Amino acid sequence: VHQETFAAAETRVRQLIANARHKTALDQAKEVHKAYRSGASEALLIDAYAERIRDLIRQNLTVEANSLLDLVRERYPSAVDRLTGLAVSAAARAGRLEQLVGPLNNALLPAEHRAAIELAIQEQVTDLAALAGCPVLPPEHALRQAAASLQRAFEAVTSGPVPEEALTLAEISRRSPLAPWKMLVWAIASFYRRDDEACLRYLDAVKTGSAPARLAPALRCMLDGKAGGQLSAPSAELVSRISGDALTLKHSIEELDRAFEQGEHERRIMDTIRSAVQACRRSAPEQVERLKQHISVRSAMERLDVDKTRGAMGAPSRHDAYFYRLFARGMEQEAGHPSDLIAACSTWNDFRLKAVEEGWFTANGPAAATLYLHMAKVLRDIPERTIRSFEKAARKGNGQPIDDLFFMRPEKLYERACVLDPHSEAFSEWMEWTRTRHGSQAERVAEAWHKICPHDIEPILSLMAASEQRGSFPKALAYLVKAERIDGVNPEVRRARLRLLAGNAIRCIQRKKPALADQSLDEISELPQSREGDRPAFVAALRYMTAALREDLAGAQKRRAEIEQFLEGCAGATLLIFAVAAACKRRELRTLESVQNLAESERAALPATLARLTALAKDVQFNMQVPPSWMAEGAEQFRRTHRTLGLSQLRMLGEAALQANEPGFAYAISTAGLERGNPAEAEFLFLRAQSLPATHFERRMVCAAAAAKLARQLSQQDLAGKAVDFLRGPFKDGSIELTPAQVGEILQKEKKQPVFPKSNRQGPNYRSIVGDRLCQCPDCRRDRGEEMEGLDDFDCELEQDEEFAGLEIPEDMPLEIAELLLQETVRAVANGESVEELLARLGGEGLPQTRSRKSRRK
Amino acid sequence: MHATEVLGVTESASDEEIRAAYLKRVKEHPPDRSPEEFERIRDAYETLRDPRRRMRDMLLAADPSAPFTSLFAGLEPERRFVGPNPWLEVLKKK
Repeated sequence: VHQETFAAAETRVRQLIANARHKTALDQAKEVHKAYRSGASEALLIDAYAERIRDLIRQNLTVEANSLLDLVRERYPSAVDRLTGLAVSAAARAGRLEQLVGPLNNALLPAEHRAAIELAIQEQVTDLAALAGCPVLPPEHALRQAAASLQRAFEAVTSGPVPEEALTLAEISRRSPLAPWKMLVWAIASFYRRDDEACLRYLDAVKTGSAPARLAPALRCMLDGKAGGQLSAPSAELVSRISGDALTLKHSIEELDRAFEQGEHERRIMDTIRSAVQACRRSAPEQVERLKQHISVRSAMERLDVDKTRGAMGAPSRHDAYFYRLFARGMEQEAGHPSDLIAACSTWNDFRLKAVEEGWFTANGPAAATLYLHMAKVLRDIPERTIRSFEKAARKGNGQPIDDLFFMRPEKLYERACVLDPHSEAFSEWMEWTRTRHGSQAERVAEAWHKICPHDIEPILSLMAASEQRGSFPKALAYLVKAERIDGVNPEVRRARLRLLAGNAIRCIQRKKPALADQSLDEISELPQSREGDRPAFVAALRYMTAALREDLAGAQKRRAEIEQFLEGCAGATLLIFAVAAACKRRELRTLESVQNLAESERAALPATLARLTALAKDVQFNMQVPPSWMAEGAEQFRRTHRTLGLSQLRMLGEAALQANEPGFAYAISTAGLERGNPAEAEFLFLRAQSLPATHFERRMVCAAAAAKLARQLSQQDLAGKAVDFLRGPFKDGSIELTPAQVGEILQKEKKQPVFPKSNRQGPNYRSIVGDRLCQCPDCRRDRGEEMEGLDDFDCELEQDEEFAGLEIPEDMPLEIAELLLQETVRAVANGESVEELLARLGGEGLPQTRSRKSRRK
Repeated sequence: MHATEVLGVTESASDEEIRAAYLKRVKEHPPDRSPEEFERIRDAYETLRDPRRRMRDMLLAADPSAPFTSLFAGLEPERRFVGPNPWLEVLKKK
C-alpha cells in the first residue's frame, strides 16, 4: 500500500511538472519527501527543484534561481553534479561570464560539464566584447580569440560595406560554440550586398535556439518584404531603422490591395486607405497623387462613398489627364448598363481636353482621332433610343448645346476621327457601324472614304451597291470599272458585271428602251460567264422582252424557242418569261397559261423546274416570282416525286416556297430534307423553323437553335450565321444554348412530324427545353403573336420612333396597320410590284382585324 | 503587358528613346537565342512606331484594376547601415 501510494504521489507530481506547474509540483514534492524520506522521494524532489530553477532562469530571475540552486546544493550534496548544467545556464543568463567560462580553464573538466558550458555560451552569450575580454580565460584562449574576431566582423558588417574576402573568419571552426555567430555575420554581409539568396542560405545555417538565431526573423522580414506583425519590439525597431519607411509603405499598400480584393467592410478599407496614403506621404511623396488617383477610381468602381474616400485620403485626388483616362477605363470595365458607357465616353472627352491642355497630344492630330475612334467603339452597341434619352437628359439638365454632346454620338465621333486622320481603317469602322445602324448614310460615308482614299476597294463596292439598289446602273457600272482597275480578281468585282448589265437591261426594258437594253445584252453576251449554266436562258428571256417591246414577234418566238431549248421544256420557259416580265414590270408580257394545260410529264417535272429556275434567279440575282397556282401544282407534284429530287434541288425549292410565302410547301420540303439525314439535317431543320407559323414560337425558336448548333458542328458557318440571325430577329432575346443530346431529341421529334401543323397546339412540346427563357416584355410577346390583354398601358412611343424613322405615319393609322403596310410595301418594292398591284393585293387578301386597345383609343 | 512596359520606356518617350530602348532589348534577347521574347519586343516596337497604335496602346495602358503595389514596382526598401547596437538590442531581448 505504501509503495502504491508513493507511486500515485510521484505520478501526480510529475504530471504537474509536465503541465509546467513547477511551483505546485515543488511544494507537493516536498510533502511527498517529508512523508516517505526515501531515495526515490529525494530524487523526485531534486527533479522538482531542477524544473523550478529552470523556470526561474527562463523568467530571467537569475538571482532567485542561484539562491535556490545554492540551497539545493547545500541540502542535497549528491545532486551537485545533476545541477551543474543549471548552474551554468543561470550564470550565463545572469551575464556572469567569469562564472560561466571559468571552469573551461580546468583541463580535467568532465566532457559533460564542458558541453553544458558551451551550449550555454551558444544560447545565452550576446556580448562578444565581454567574452573577448573575459579575464578568467588567458588572452590566447581560442574562445576569446574567436569572440574578438567575431566582434570586429560584426561591427564592420553592420556599419558599412565589407568585402567578402575580409570575412573569412577561418579561426572559428564549425564545432565552436560561436559558429552560429559566424553564419550570422556572413548573412548580414550578404544582406547589405543585396545577395538575398546567400543571406537566406546563411540564415538557414544559424543553429536554431542559438543567440544569433534571435536576429533571423528581422532579417527574413527585410528580405521578403512581408509584414513584420509578429516581430518583437526591438526587431521591429531594427527593421524600421534599416529599411526606413519604405517597407512600411510596401506593407500598407499590400494591405490596401488585400482590403479591396477581399471586398472588406467599407470602414476597414477606409482605414487601409488612410494608412497607405500616410505611409506614401512619408516614403514616396512624389507618388502620393498617383496613389490617390488610383484609390479614387477604384473606390468609384467599388461604389464606395466618395466623401469618405476623400476624407481617408486627406484631400481629393488631382483631376488631370491621367486621372480621367484611368476613370474612363474603369467605367468601361465596370459597365453594367449602357449609361456607364455613355458616362465613360463623357470622361474620355474630359481626358481629351485635359490631355491637350497638358500637352499629351494636339487637339486636331491623329492621336485625337484614335481617341474618337475608341469612343465610337465604346458606344457602338448602345441602342439609338438610349443615346437619345441621355442626350435629352443632358440638354435638359445642364442646358448643354447639342454640339457639345458629340461624345455621345458614334456617327459624330467617327466623322471627327476621319476628318482628323483619314485612313482606311477608320473609314471601314465608320462604314461598318453605319451599315448596321443608319444604312441610308452608308453611301455618304463611302463617298467621303472614296474621296480621301480613291484606291480603297471597299467604298467603291459600297457605292456600286448603293447605285445598284437605287437602279442607277450606269453609275454602278462606272464604279465597277474603277473597282476592276484596282482589284480585278476580287470575286465580288468579278460577279458584279453580269449582274449590273442584266440590271441595266431590265431597267431599260422597264423604261421601254429596247435599244439600250440590247446594248447591255450584247455586252453580257461577250462575257464568258454569261455562257455558264442556265444563264443563256436568262439572257434569252431578256432578249425576248426587247423583241416583244419592239413588237418583233418572230424575234420573240425565236428567243422563246431558245429558252425552251436551254431549259429543256415549255414549263420552265413559260415561268422564266413570266418572272422576267414581272422583274421588267411588263404586265402585258406576264401572260401565263393555266398550269393544267401543261403536259403530264412537264407537270410531274414542275418541282425540278422550279428548283432550277430558283437557282438561276439566285445566280443572276433577280427576284423570281411564281404564280400561286403554279406553286400549288408544284407542291402537289412534290408529294409524288420528291424522292427523285437531289439535295440541291430540295434546297432551291425550299427557298422558292419561302419566297412565295407557301409555308405548307416549305414544311413538306423540310420533311423530305430531314428524311435524307446528315449532313443536310441542319439546313432542313432551319427550313422547318422558317416554315412554321409565327404562332409556333417555341418550336420555331428551338428548331432554329438546333439548326445553328448542328451547323456549327458540321462547320457550316453560313448556315449557322443565318440561323443565329433568325433567332436574333423577331425572337430578340430568344437565343438558347442546347446540349448535343437536346439537339438529337429535337431532330427525332421533328422527323416524327411530317405534316404541317393545322392548329397552334399541334406539334412537339419543347417547354422543357425553352423553360422560362422567353422574354415576357410586351414587345417580345407581341412579336411571338401572344395575346396582349392587360398590357394596354405599355408605352411604345420609342419603338414607333425607331421602326418608322424618317417615315411619316398618318395620325389616325394604328401602329399595327402601319407595320403591315410597311412590310408589304418593302416586299412589293423588292418584287417590282406597282402601287396599284400592291393595293389590289392588299385589298383582295384583306388586312388583319386585330387592333390593340391603344390603337382603338386613338 | 503594354508596349511601353515591354521596351521599358515611358509613355512620353521620344522616337529616338524608343528606338534606343528597342535596340538595347534586342541585344539582350537576340532572335536566335530567345525568339519568343524577340517577337514580343518587335511587336512592342511596331506598336510604338505607329502613332495610331501607340495612341491606342496608351489609352488602354491605364488599368484601374491593377494592384496598387504596381504603382510602387520600382520602389526597393532601403538597407541602411545602422551600426551594431540596434542589432545587439534584438539579441539581448529574449
